[in-house]
Amino acid sequence: MPSRWAETAEDAAEYAKRKAEKEEKKRVKAEKQQQQQRQAEEEEAQRAQARIHNNDEDAARPNKRRRLSPTQEEQNNEDSTGRPLLRSTPRTWQPCRSIYHFDLLNHIEEGSYGFVSRARENATGNIVAIKKLKLDAIRDAGFPVTALREIQCLRAAAGHRHVVGLREVVCSDSDSTDRDRDRGSGGGKGSGGGGDGRDVYLVMDFLEHDLKTLQEEMVAPFSPSEIKALLLQLTSAVDFLHDNWILHRDLKTSNILLNNRGEIKLADFGMARFVGDPAPANLTQMVVTLWYRAPELLLGAKEYGACIDVWSLGCIFGELLLKRPVLQGQNEVDQLGLIFDLCGLPSEENWPGFKRLPNARTLRLPPSSSGKGAHGPTIRSRFPALTPTGTSLLTSCLSLNPASRPTAKEILDHAYFRESPRPKPTALFPTFPSKAGQEKRRRYASPNAPIRGEAVEGTGEVDFSSVFEGKGEV
Amino acid sequence: MAPIRDHSHLVNSLATSTHLETSASQLDSVPRHLEDSIRYETSRLSQAAGILLSLPQEIIAQSIIVMQRFWVGPEGGSMLEYDPQDVASAAMYLCAKPSGFSLSPRSILTTFECLRSLNCKYDESLIEKGPFETEWRLSDGEYETRREQLYKVEAQILRTLGFQTHVALPYTLSMNYLQTLEAFHDDKGPVLARRVFAHLNSALLSPQLLYLTHQPCALATASIYLAAREVGALLPEAEWWEVFDVEREELGFLVVALRSMEAFAVQEKRQWESRVVPLTIHDVRGEIERERMLEADE
Repeated sequence: MPSRWAETAEDAAEYAKRKAEKEEKKRVKAEKQQQQQRQAEEEEAQRAQARIHNNDEDAARPNKRRRLSPTQEEQNNEDSTGRPLLRSTPRTWQPCRSIYHFDLLNHIEEGSYGFVSRARENATGNIVAIKKLKLDAIRDAGFPVTALREIQCLRAAAGHRHVVGLREVVCSDSDSTDRDRDRGSGGGKGSGGGGDGRDVYLVMDFLEHDLKTLQEEMVAPFSPSEIKALLLQLTSAVDFLHDNWILHRDLKTSNILLNNRGEIKLADFGMARFVGDPAPANLTQMVVTLWYRAPELLLGAKEYGACIDVWSLGCIFGELLLKRPVLQGQNEVDQLGLIFDLCGLPSEENWPGFKRLPNARTLRLPPSSSGKGAHGPTIRSRFPALTPTGTSLLTSCLSLNPASRPTAKEILDHAYFRESPRPKPTALFPTFPSKAGQEKRRRYASPNAPIRGEAVEGTGEVDFSSVFEGKGEV
Repeated sequence: MAPIRDHSHLVNSLATSTHLETSASQLDSVPRHLEDSIRYETSRLSQAAGILLSLPQEIIAQSIIVMQRFWVGPEGGSMLEYDPQDVASAAMYLCAKPSGFSLSPRSILTTFECLRSLNCKYDESLIEKGPFETEWRLSDGEYETRREQLYKVEAQILRTLGFQTHVALPYTLSMNYLQTLEAFHDDKGPVLARRVFAHLNSALLSPQLLYLTHQPCALATASIYLAAREVGALLPEAEWWEVFDVEREELGFLVVALRSMEAFAVQEKRQWESRVVPLTIHDVRGEIERERMLEADE
């Protein structure tokens, strides 16, 4: 087969034709130019004559008419260089800065991954959250892969409004390293550190709350319009991640941060990883905190996808409604039992192929399941306050069969978010005292206004003799 | 035009002019030509090790680029502070780790050790003798020291790059471009594609650090342009590279750079024919000393 770009007789003919056309155009253009020139000359001559006639200053002034169209020369230039090319703003890299650019303010929380503290950047005064990674080179075989993935995923998701921003990665100073090393050489292996005893810190946006702590402190659950606003923001973040081939794999309320302007940011990407299509085989099932873990993971599926994050979204949705986690299993077995209580029992109809999952072999389903089907989902009765549309969204997110769960994009388009009450604008969100910022609920120390009726009783009969007591000696 | 998002998977972080002006090695008085030779040799070493470890080319390329990022700039790593061969193995270990092809420290250390024993004659040794006759094994003590060093250099690379290990590569992009150009409608399509990949692989070894100074789209376009010339495949008469966001000037520069690779490789081979490129701090120091003596003699 000849190349698409090969010259054929047709091409030659076409080329000749185009050339002829070009020539013709050129000729016409040249003629026009000549004509214009002639016209201009004539005008100039006329003007000169006019000048002679009235000798007016105005006429003597140079022609100040603004050029409305580019001259021919300019036009030609534009033709050759004017095609806009896509340009990216090139980024670069630089060594990690030192942690001493930051002032640690207070401790926020500790997880298996590290310690989180609130801190202030000395130069700017900005308040940030700093996560000190727990490093153990021998245990993690060098720098922990989870931390590497977290940094990569956070960088890839940077700029999304509802993903926590990783501002930079900083390290402890080399000075302290030398000290550590000296100490280390004295007492065997230097403890911790990323291969050479230096600590690594992730500097991230500071947000006042996480949803878990906040809910524990709140008196009443979020209102339906607030839940919608929170859920929409969260789902848009998850949708963005999935669009960029990232699975979060640890969605839960303690990983969802909220600021005092009602804005959510998704955090903690320690479990996250990039996937492709088809998803890589042999993904680990040891992901997602138990209460938010999808049934296929519990049953040992080795191939899974974005649906596991959608399951967690469903759990979070339910948790926002109830103000407490929906499925609080003690262990894997208990968790699966709770799931079946809530969502009904799996069957070949509602979840084709579930029996082939590794751990499903040991699963003994009660015989009644096939018979009367009495054990359907109990979501409706567990969430009585939820509207039918809301219930349908929750039920679909918590489908046992991963294939029946909606994608994050489909959730965003769900009718639940369009029905009344509409999602609350973030600006109208209530504010709460921040635990992470070490704020306390303000106590009102001023006394109450006098209560009508009671006050009347006391008038005139107060004994003021003690007002200056103790001050009288002066 | 809409700006590309910062960390789009098609865009790379590039070296700044400060990075390219000088390097920590040069500040430590490693001559520039020796630095080029060492960088070239360690890149070849990585490529050979990657093949032995059956890593996908993407990870090999990524590790070479990460290593190059590490060496550039006054704040980068110095070849008199970190053994070049250790940087090569640590970069590969680091790049393979979060991918689906992670390596154990033992396998990577053994492979590099074994390749080092061939004194940089990988191609000949591997092609002629086939796989290795003797079984290669690191002693336990040796392994522990090397592993500690591996972790240490890995952490140093991460710190030096500010954890910027994301690398966008031009391989798949070039295939998309070839398809857009309908190059596979031609019989020469497959030959062309192979040639394009060959150029992209050689560019990894370029002393001009092409992957640190040019975006993947430019590298892919230049490789296609040059490869098409070489295999005689026809491409549109129009300025098709602009479709792929490459300016004529950049294209010209890259094509010249790609074409100069062969001469560079030949020269490197001639220069180090009877000697071994120094890949440890100790050897680098020795080589600098040797050159100084030669100069003094003259």
